[in-house]
Amino acid sequence: MQFTPKQLVDNINVSKSHPLIELLWLLGGLILLSGLIFFILGITADWAVSKTPIKVETWIGQLALNEFPAEENQSLGEQLQSLLDSLPEESPLHQYNFRIFLSNAEDINAIALPGGNIVVFSGLLELMESENELAMVLAHELGHFAHRDHLSGLGRGLGIAVAATLLFGEESAASSLVSKALLTFQAKYSQDQESAADQFGLDLLTRRYGHAGGAIDFFSRLSEDAGNKLPYLLASHPHPKDRIDALEQHIKEKNYRVKATEPLADKILPETD
Amino acid sequence: MDILLQNFDLVIFLLLAILGYTAGSLAEKRHYRSIIKREKELLKMAVITAEGSFPPSKVKESALVTGSVVVSIDYFKRLLAILRNIFGGRVKSYESLVDRARREAILRMKESAKKQGANMIINMRLETATIGRNANKKKTVGSVEAIAYGTAIIMN
Repeated sequence: MQFTPKQLVDNINVSKSHPLIELLWLLGGLILLSGLIFFILGITADWAVSKTPIKVETWIGQLALNEFPAEENQSLGEQLQSLLDSLPEESPLHQYNFRIFLSNAEDINAIALPGGNIVVFSGLLELMESENELAMVLAHELGHFAHRDHLSGLGRGLGIAVAATLLFGEESAASSLVSKALLTFQAKYSQDQESAADQFGLDLLTRRYGHAGGAIDFFSRLSEDAGNKLPYLLASHPHPKDRIDALEQHIKEKNYRVKATEPLADKILPETD
Repeated sequence: MDILLQNFDLVIFLLLAILGYTAGSLAEKRHYRSIIKREKELLKMAVITAEGSFPPSKVKESALVTGSVVVSIDYFKRLLAILRNIFGGRVKSYESLVDRARREAILRMKESAKKQGANMIINMRLETATIGRNANKKKTVGSVEAIAYGTAIIMN
């Protein structure tokens, strides 16, 4: 028998498809899958949140509060109380026992913790120029409680972590990839929550003062140095400019009047040297 | 600029994927060019499976020849494989890796046989092993080792 060596021209062992096209297909599938998981988890978490008694929430809040070194603040409490007094009688917020804390930190932020605890950072207070602005911020946080956002955020976060780990294993790279994809959905969801809380805050502010003055003052000061909108794609809060636009739209729709604001009582911030 | 810093891990992830893709496909193209060229050169070195025995007068010497190679995955290939782990199906990104490793191992074996003046290799065997198990787990690098071995026959 004659031995004639031949070189193979075609390689049957390697698939011909382009890797980038495969990547596109797989990424598309991943985003679809993550969206589905997020959707189902969201519905489950929201359902669980609506069934969670406020007692349980208060207990979770106590745990969360230990993370923030803060003191309960008397004059902020009075501000909050006057807002609560102007809430309608049937509001579910009356079931909460609200406590408001002042934390000595540079952050321009306020947080709604489960169980009716609000933490205001002194960095935010320093930027406040009128009582109405402060009331708007507090009313915004009350909005989070009214929609129980802190709990559903917690529930969703927990759900995402558990689902990703269960599906793809604890240490696997796939689970971190899925979590990253879910993050994008989470940002969008969180921004929607913030806008809803803004609307609630605006309504409550108008109930309290009879006009919507001061609702957008703070945001317009923020938007001056907020820069362009690109970084806000993945942020938890919408761009201040978008918040202003939404609030102005709401003011127009509801025909709220905008009057002059009242100056802030300067005893809130403890004297600093 | 801020957005880059805030999503630092995402940026690193993207950079590694792009680096993996460009460097990986460049290296693969070069490797295939060299494989095809050397396969042509060594075409005359027959690799066959033989049974029975050679007439002692014809065989001057026989020797064990081996060729082995380790090829690493790149970040992009790993990314594709991780995504494949979710949906299932052929892990196409690893196919070329295993193919390259096998052919390179055979080539190295043939080259070593040629150096010893052999005319043919009989009864070649191929084995593969993974170095760095669980290549799709975090913080591990996966690579494939292929080893080819056979008996080189040096004729009279």
